[in-house]
Amino acid sequence: MIKVNELTHDYGHGRGVFDVSFEVGKGETLGFLGPNGAGKSTTMRHLMGFSKPQKGEVSIGGLDCTAKPSEIMKNVGYLPGEVALPEGLSGRQFIKMMQDMRGVRNDERVRELLERFKLDPSGSVKRMSIGEKRKLAVVTAFMSDPEILLLDEPTSGLDPVMQEEFISFIREEKVKGRTILLSSHIFSEVEALCDRIAIIKDGRLVSTVDAAEIRHGLHNIMTIEFENAGDFTEFGRQELDFALRDRSSLKCSVVVDDEDINRFIRAIRRFRIKSFAEHSVTLEEYFMHFYKNDKHFGGVSYA
Amino acid sequence: MLSLPLLKQSIRSNAVMWGSMTGVMTLLCVQFSMLDMTRSLLFTIFYGMMTTILPGIYVLVTANKLLASQVDRGSMAYVLATPTKRSTVTFTQAFYLVNSLIAMFGVQTLAHLATNAAKPIALGEMGYTMLAGDLTSKMIAQVNLSALMVCIALSAVCFMFSGIFSSSKYSIGLSGTFIGVSILANMLAMFGNLGVDGLKNFKYLTICSFYDYQSVLFSGNEWITKLIFPAAIAVAAFTVGELCFSKKDLPL
Ligand SMILES: Nc1ncnc2c1ncn2[C@@H]1O[C@H](COP(=O)(O)OP(=O)(O)OP(=O)(O)O)[C@@H](O)[C@H]1O
Ligand SMILES: [Mg+2]
Repeated sequence: MIKVNELTHDYGHGRGVFDVSFEVGKGETLGFLGPNGAGKSTTMRHLMGFSKPQKGEVSIGGLDCTAKPSEIMKNVGYLPGEVALPEGLSGRQFIKMMQDMRGVRNDERVRELLERFKLDPSGSVKRMSIGEKRKLAVVTAFMSDPEILLLDEPTSGLDPVMQEEFISFIREEKVKGRTILLSSHIFSEVEALCDRIAIIKDGRLVSTVDAAEIRHGLHNIMTIEFENAGDFTEFGRQELDFALRDRSSLKCSVVVDDEDINRFIRAIRRFRIKSFAEHSVTLEEYFMHFYKNDKHFGGVSYA
Repeated sequence: MLSLPLLKQSIRSNAVMWGSMTGVMTLLCVQFSMLDMTRSLLFTIFYGMMTTILPGIYVLVTANKLLASQVDRGSMAYVLATPTKRSTVTFTQAFYLVNSLIAMFGVQTLAHLATNAAKPIALGEMGYTMLAGDLTSKMIAQVNLSALMVCIALSAVCFMFSGIFSSSKYSIGLSGTFIGVSILANMLAMFGNLGVDGLKNFKYLTICSFYDYQSVLFSGNEWITKLIFPAAIAVAAFTVGELCFSKKDLPL
């Protein structure tokens, strides 16, 4: 449904997006993760047809986003990263305006959404708190029941209870078969909602991973402390994926995939071990290393 | 082509500015045409300056709010997140701008027609001693039409800047300079007409020169020919604004 092909837009000074390619299939939810300034919002702006790619194509439902944005918008709900609502309206007037512009009257759905997110739209938009504005934007993005949703950090500014409410709301939308692109800085949210996760950094797509894979733990890390230096050295000669080898403390960390676990246990039987600890790499750890500048972590390396 | 909900929103969010400018202009007109002290200056001061300055301020602020400021603030994202073409947005906003000016001049013209009927003024009383008779309703309508056309051209140029730039800073800056120069040059040129010969050439610096109330008072035809130029400028500027806005990258 959503297709980004070699999208490039260089804003100079190494900023922008470069050769970004990904697809979101019908009914799929793709999480879009990456540090500040990585290019998440920029990619979404291209999907919305606000900016034109310098190179590459972006399309939604087979329609080119720069050529036919108004056509595409009939099926798209967009939640901008920054909430800047039009001036001089009350919440209710804003909802009414968006209904008219979309050409849908669905008061029942609006009432349902307002109730669900506990929002009173009667006040002036200007005086609303950040979270209230965000909720208003959520209501207008979802009220026409669009097939495709582009959500740019949808829960920023929401309180924890509302964040949870939002997550369970999106779960229900997923059941309805929506196609969703969701950018976020909150791991738990991405973990809970996304089928696949794309990671972008410095404008480049770093990796795309299956969320199921991550939920089972990407990799296991075994940390072994040896009793003597001899064993430590000898163990170091094994054909294993070492993440860390520290001679002074006689500790080794080894990355072990599930299918290699028996081989690992056979290898380790011959040695005298002082302590042994195992933990799996969580999504959070996995991403933290992309966010920070680690080049090697948990057996996953990237250039 | 026209988006009614967007038009409604534009009317609503510019109502205060429109109301106050229309109110001030109408009140001044009533004052100038009714008070014995100021009646003789009805044309030199009111029609000479106020009918360009007040709408000038209005279009400067409003044109910016219709496009550039909404892009700058980011609220344009909500408009374009609906099935609304960018060309529909510009058309609707330009439609609002032009029609709000028509309404503004409409209100002020009606007010002047009313006061003029209640208290007619002889052309001679306003310094046109060579002309016989009173200021007619037809003249009032024609003068206002001439002024309106020039104001539409001013609004179109401001609208063009609003469409070209994505930040209020530049849109307001250039529109402000343009309106400022136009009005200032018009005033200087007016002093030129009143006798200061050196200032006469300023009339070539401003669109306002196409607004010719003297021709109307003298029952001439030049003012009609002079409508063509601001009309052409308006069409050109609106088109450029439309094209730029539709083509450019929006930092939303
Ligand atoms: N119109 C523009 N002109 C110049 N630079 C731009 C423009 N738009 C985006 N950038 C730059 O591109 C980079 C990516 O910005 P983007 O907003 O996409 O980041 P992001 O991934 O959404 O970050 P965040 O998590 O903070 O929202 C930034 O360094 C930004 O300064
Ligand atoms: Mg962003």
